[in-house]
Amino acid sequence: MRPLALLAFCIIWLTALPAGAKSTLIDDSGTLPYDTPITLQWQQASPRPPVNNTLTGTTTIRVRLKVGPWLRRAGRIYLILPAQPLGSLTASWTTQGRLLAGRVTSGSRTLVYAGVVTTPFIEEVLQLTLSVDARQMRQLSHINFQFQMDED
Amino acid sequence: MLLAPVSNPAGAFTVSILNGPPKTLYLQVGVGGFTGIFPYYILGGVPGNNTTVNTESVAVPAAAVGNGTAQAMTTVSGVSASSYDGRAFCNVPAQLYIGGFYRTPGLGGGGSATVTATVPASLVDAAGDTLSFAQVSWTSGGGGDSGGEPFPAGSFSAGAVQTVGTIAQNQWAESCWTFSYSNTTVPAAGTYTGRVLYTLTAP
Repeated sequence: MRPLALLAFCIIWLTALPAGAKSTLIDDSGTLPYDTPITLQWQQASPRPPVNNTLTGTTTIRVRLKVGPWLRRAGRIYLILPAQPLGSLTASWTTQGRLLAGRVTSGSRTLVYAGVVTTPFIEEVLQLTLSVDARQMRQLSHINFQFQMDED
Repeated sequence: MLLAPVSNPAGAFTVSILNGPPKTLYLQVGVGGFTGIFPYYILGGVPGNNTTVNTESVAVPAAAVGNGTAQAMTTVSGVSASSYDGRAFCNVPAQLYIGGFYRTPGLGGGGSATVTATVPASLVDAAGDTLSFAQVSWTSGGGGDSGGEPFPAGSFSAGAVQTVGTIAQNQWAESCWTFSYSNTTVPAAGTYTGRVLYTLTAP
C-alpha cells in the first residue's frame, strides 16, 4: 500500500470510531412489516443506450426503535445495509421527520439520528426504495437492515 | 467506510426482493405499437400492441408467369423510420420493417430471444389452388447498417416453423426485409394469399 493511501485509510478510521465510542444494535423488533416483499421494476423500460439495467422498488415500513436503554443520553443512530451476496445494492428513503432521510449502499451505514434520546421508542415511517443492477439478479434475496446506536 | 464492532445483535428488519420484473419482449413486423409524441424508443416512445396485419404482395404479368425471373414484392406497412430512434431506415414500399427488443434481468448466459415464423404450406386462391410458400424469399438490410443483420436473409420453409432472427439480451434489433416471389412455377390464374405468424420467444 502506498503511504498516501494508508494515510487516507487512517483518517477514515479515526472518523468512524471516535475514542470511547460504543456501537450497539438497536432492537427494532416492533417494526412493521418486519419482513416485507418488494417487487422490482425496470428503471428504464427500454434498453436504450447507455443501457440502464437498474431495477427499483419501493415499500413502506413503519419503524419502531427501542431506544429506552439510551434515554436522556446523547447518541447517533445509523441505518446499516450489510454487504449483500447479490452484489451492490442501494437503498434510499424518505421519512416524516423523526429520522433523517438518506441513502445507503450495501456494506455501509448512514446517519439517521443525532442527539439526545428523549423517548423510550422512536417511531418513523420510511418510504424505502431499493435499487439493484438487474444483471446481478438471480433469485430471491433477503435484505437485512439494522439500526445501530453509537453513544457519544 | 469501516463499521464499528457491534454488540447485542438485537434487530434486523428484512426486505425480501422478489425476482425482478417479468421479461419484457417487443416485436414489430411492419406497423408497430409505439405511442407517444415521438413514438420512438430513445425519445420516450411507449411500446404497445398493434393488431394490424401488413401485406406483402406482387402482381405477376401474365406474360411473365413461371419464367423464373424473381418478382419484387411490396409492402403496405409504410414504416420507413426506425422505431428505435426515428432515423430513415427502410425504403418503402420495397422493404418491410422488423424490429424489437428483449429486456431481462439476470446475468448473461440466458441466451437470446428468438423470432420464429410459422409458415403455412401454401398460399391459396379462392378456387382452392395452391402455391408453395417456398416460392417467397427475402433479403435483409437497413439504412446505415454494416455487418450481419439480426434478421438475416432467408426463404420460407413451407409448412414449418423456422427461425428468422434473434435479439440479444437487453438489446434492440432491427432490419429491413425485401421480399420476392421466385416465379418458377405456373399456377392457375388467381389471387393467392397466406399468412405468416411471427413470434418472439425468450428463453
